[in-house]
Amino acid sequence: MDTSFIDPFARWIQTTELSFVMKDNQWLWAGCETIHFLGLALMVGAIGVLDLRMLGVAKQIPLRPLHRLVPWGILGFAMNLVTGIMFYAADAMQYSHNIAFQFKMLFVGLAGLNVLYFYATGLSHRIEELGPGADAPLSAKIVAATSLIMWFGVMYWGRMLPFIGTAF
Amino acid sequence: MEFLQWVEQLSFSTWVRESGSVMGYAFILTMHTIGLALLVGISFAVDLRLLGFGKEAAIGPYERYFPIMWVGFWVNAISGVILLMADATTKMINPVFYVKMIFIFLAVWNVRIAQRKLRAGIESPALAWISIFLWIGATTAGRLMAYIGPVAGLE
Repeated sequence: MDTSFIDPFARWIQTTELSFVMKDNQWLWAGCETIHFLGLALMVGAIGVLDLRMLGVAKQIPLRPLHRLVPWGILGFAMNLVTGIMFYAADAMQYSHNIAFQFKMLFVGLAGLNVLYFYATGLSHRIEELGPGADAPLSAKIVAATSLIMWFGVMYWGRMLPFIGTAF
Repeated sequence: MEFLQWVEQLSFSTWVRESGSVMGYAFILTMHTIGLALLVGISFAVDLRLLGFGKEAAIGPYERYFPIMWVGFWVNAISGVILLMADATTKMINPVFYVKMIFIFLAVWNVRIAQRKLRAGIESPALAWISIFLWIGATTAGRLMAYIGPVAGLE
């Protein structure tokens, strides 16, 4: 993928204080990585139980209380966005031109569009009405399956980052 | 140490570590992350319910999520043993590894207790706090294995 359009930004962020602090401080990096993994678990867990329920797992749970966990998923995402930007700042050019990173961002973007569809079409409201034992509509199932595939894809590409392409 | 060297030099261990195959080290590490997401992630979600988020739902049906957590556990037990074999001489002498194992032993024990209580319809917020504490400990120790003590794996 040609991602040279990002180069000016990548070069700029590498001149920031944040970039130098991250590069020079191994323990800050290790701490951020730990937060990145905990954020991953929190997000995939909180969103995953909702997705699984829409797909028919634990069907006796009504949808509304599971939907209430979404803010926790957003918290997990925020943890990972912040720590992710910190990693990126340290070595922006390398990340930008790493194929695994590009795919990771693509999958994050697709997962985001999926969330947008879920809320913009009112599907999120409709599923809240589903009580114990009720089957989710097909559109909700597709959103749920897409969500799981995208987030597991994000994890795959994230984990592959140090191993594929021009890494580190 | 001789035994650890023997394990590390097995052709399987060497292949995992050095082949660079898409099914090798990176893939096993990915499986370990996916298992973590299933086990720790769903555990966190159940903990949140035990702490009162979405408490209008009866607790019993949450037990249905536990089989998926156990899939996560076994994915990580297997991928973990393989990663350990690949770097036996370094990981087995790293104290952080044993700290991680203690956290995981206690966390998994806690999951079993929580599962039994859920089946009986008992909600215990205390178990949720213990679970959160132990999983944060286990994940932190796991991450720090790449930074403290003898460090193995690809650089």
